[in-house]
Amino acid sequence: MSGRILVVEDDERIRSSMRLALEGEGYEVKDAASGEEGLSLFTEAPTDVALIDLMLPGMDGFECCRALRRQSAVPIIIVTARADTHDVVAGLEAGADDYVTKPFVAKELAARIRALLRRARPPEEDPGALVFGDLQLLPEQGVLRQVDGDEVHCTRTEFRLLCELAASPNKVLSREQLLDRVWGYDYFGDGRLVDVHIRRLRTKVESDPAAPRHILTVRGMGYKLVP
Amino acid sequence: MKLGIGARITAIFGLGALLLSISMGGLSYFTTRHFLLAERESAALHQAFANATLVRSALASGTTAYADLLATLDVGSNSHSVLIHKSKAYASSLSLNASSIPTRLRAEVLAGTAATQTYRTGTQSQPQIIVGVPIPSVRASYFEVFTLSDLDHTLRVLGLTLFGAGVLTTLLGTALGRIASDRSLRPLAGVSRAAVAIAGGQLDTRLNAADPDPDLAGLTTSFNAMVDQLQVRIERETRFNSDVSHELRSPLTTLSASLEVLEAEWDNLSPRGRRALQLLGDDLRRFQRMVGDLLEMSRADAGSMDVFLEEVNVSELVQRAAEAGLRVLKQQAPAPEVHIGGEVRALHVGVDKRRFERVMANLIENATVYGGGVTAISVHGSSGASDTPSEVEIAVEDAGPGIDPVERSKVFDRFYRGSASGRRGTGTGTGLGLALVAEHMRLMGGRAWVEASPSGGARFVLSLPVLASVEDPER
Repeated sequence: MSGRILVVEDDERIRSSMRLALEGEGYEVKDAASGEEGLSLFTEAPTDVALIDLMLPGMDGFECCRALRRQSAVPIIIVTARADTHDVVAGLEAGADDYVTKPFVAKELAARIRALLRRARPPEEDPGALVFGDLQLLPEQGVLRQVDGDEVHCTRTEFRLLCELAASPNKVLSREQLLDRVWGYDYFGDGRLVDVHIRRLRTKVESDPAAPRHILTVRGMGYKLVP
Repeated sequence: MKLGIGARITAIFGLGALLLSISMGGLSYFTTRHFLLAERESAALHQAFANATLVRSALASGTTAYADLLATLDVGSNSHSVLIHKSKAYASSLSLNASSIPTRLRAEVLAGTAATQTYRTGTQSQPQIIVGVPIPSVRASYFEVFTLSDLDHTLRVLGLTLFGAGVLTTLLGTALGRIASDRSLRPLAGVSRAAVAIAGGQLDTRLNAADPDPDLAGLTTSFNAMVDQLQVRIERETRFNSDVSHELRSPLTTLSASLEVLEAEWDNLSPRGRRALQLLGDDLRRFQRMVGDLLEMSRADAGSMDVFLEEVNVSELVQRAAEAGLRVLKQQAPAPEVHIGGEVRALHVGVDKRRFERVMANLIENATVYGGGVTAISVHGSSGASDTPSEVEIAVEDAGPGIDPVERSKVFDRFYRGSASGRRGTGTGTGLGLALVAEHMRLMGGRAWVEASPSGGARFVLSLPVLASVEDPER
C-alpha cells in the first residue's frame, strides 16, 4: 500500500531513519524539522497522513496538530515518549487520530497508518442515511450535515466512529469493538482513543455535549447511538 | 511496651498531682494532729495537776473515802482518775484499775517525776493520754486517763477528707495532663497529616505559616522548608527522568528504525552479516525493554505515573492477556488453559489494560525463564461470599521448584536474583519484571504475591478489587 506521509520530527537522525524505514514499507515520505516547516510543506502539497512528534522546538506538537486540523481532516498520528501521560489525551484533544510511543517499530507504525488510511474509505456495511436530532449522516458520501443543509466538519476518524455507531443504532458497542473497527487495534488498544474521539464527536453533534442525547455512554460497557 | 508521649505527659501530671496531694495532705494531717494532741495534753496536764492538788489536800486531811474523793474531782466525761495510795489503787471507773496504768509510767511517777504518756490500749485500740502526778507528801500517785476517741474521730474524718481530696487532685491532675498533652500534640497531628499528604504525592501541601502560635513557628518554618526542598528535588528528578527518557528514546528510535531497514535487507546479507544483525536485533530489543522498564520504575518512584483505569470484564481480560503473553514467548510446550471460576465470569475490575497485559506477560515470562514453564493460569473469587466475591485472584503457576518461603517477598525486589537463579546467561530478564508487576498492581489498586502451588511450583497471585456489578445483557 502506498501513500504520502508527512513526518515532523526535530531530531535529524530519527528523521532519516524513519524515512528509510517508512520508505521500506512503501510510503512516500516528506519530512520537516519543525512544526512551521511541516505546516508549510503540507499547505504546498497535502499528504495522506501526518506524523507529528509532540516535543518540537518552537511551535510544539500540540499546536502543530491544532493548526493542521484547522486546515485539513488528514489523519494525524502523534509521537510521544510515553503512553501513560496526559500528553496523549492532550494530543488527541488537539485533533490527533492516534498515537505511537518512542521508540516505535516501523512495522507497527505502518500498520497504524494502514488502519487510518483504510478507514478513510466508506464502511463496508452501509447503514444508509441516518437522521438523529437535526443531523443527517450520509455514510455513502462521507458527509455529516444539518438537516437544513450546512455540512458539519469532522475528521475521518470521527466520521468513521460515528458510522460504526450508526450502523447499529441503540446497540451498545464496547470500546474494544470500536477500537478494532475504527483503529484496527486488538483488545489491548488504548480506550482513551475512543473516549476522546467520542468527546470530540459530541461537541459536533450534540446540542449540549455535557448532557448528550444521541451518543450515550453505557457504564462499564461502551457507547451507543440513539437516533 | 513504650508509652507514647501523650501517655507520658498524662502520667507525669497525674504523678505530680499525686505527690503534691500526698505531701500537702500528710503535712496538714500531721500538723493538725500534733497541734490537737499538744493542746489536749496541756489541758490534760492542767486538769491532772489541779486534781492532784485536790487529792493531796484531801489525803493530807486523812480522808479514806477514796471513792467519794475521786467522785468529787472535776473530771470531764472523757477522763477517769486512778489513785494509788499505800500501794492500793482506787479508780473512778469500773473499767479501770492499777493495771490500766502502764508499768513504766507508774515506776516513773513513783520515782517522783510527773509524766504523761499517750498510748493505745484496750480492745477498741482507744488512744489515751495518761497523766501521772506523784504526790510524795502523802505517798500517793495520782493518774488521770483521758480517752481521745473524739480527737481520734476528728483525725479520722480529717484523714479521710484529705485522702478524698488527694484522689480528686490526682484525677484532676491526670485530666489536666491529658488535656495538656492533647493540646500540645495537636500541632503534631497537623504535621503528621501534612506528611501523609506529602507522602501520598500532594507535594504542594504546607503547614499553615500564619499560625499565631509562636512556639510552633520554628517547626512550621523548618517543616515547610524541608517540603520545599523535597518538592524541588522531586521535580528536578522527574524532569531529569523525562529528559533522560527523551534522550535515550531518541537514539533508540533511530536504532530500531535502522534495524528494521537492515532486517528488510536480510536476503542481501552474507551469513556473517545475518548473524551479526540477529545479535544486534536481539540485544537492541532487550536494551529497549530494559530502558523502558527502568524509566517506568523511576517514574513510579517519582510518583509521576498516571493511571487510566478502565472497567473491564475480568475473565476476558485475563484470557486475552494470557494469550498475548504466551504468544510473545512462543512457548514450546502446549499452552496451558486459562481456568476461570464460574463465580467470576461476569465480574468487572478497574484496570489499565495495557499495564495488566504487561503484568501477565512478565509473570508468564518469569514462569518460563525461571519456573520451567507455565502449568496453569486460573481466575477465582476471594474475600466475600462465594457467589459475590469482593476480590478476584489471578494465579499463574509454574513447573519449577517453587520459591523458598524466606525469598517470597524478596522476589518482587528490583534486580533480585534468587538463589536458584544462576541462569543469567539466558539474559532475557531485566531484573525488574516482578518489581514492575508489584508496582503496576499497586497502581491499579491490587496486590501481587507468591505462594506455593499445590503441584510444587511457584504460584504467583494477583488480586484486584471487584467493581460493583453492572448489567451485561450480551453475556
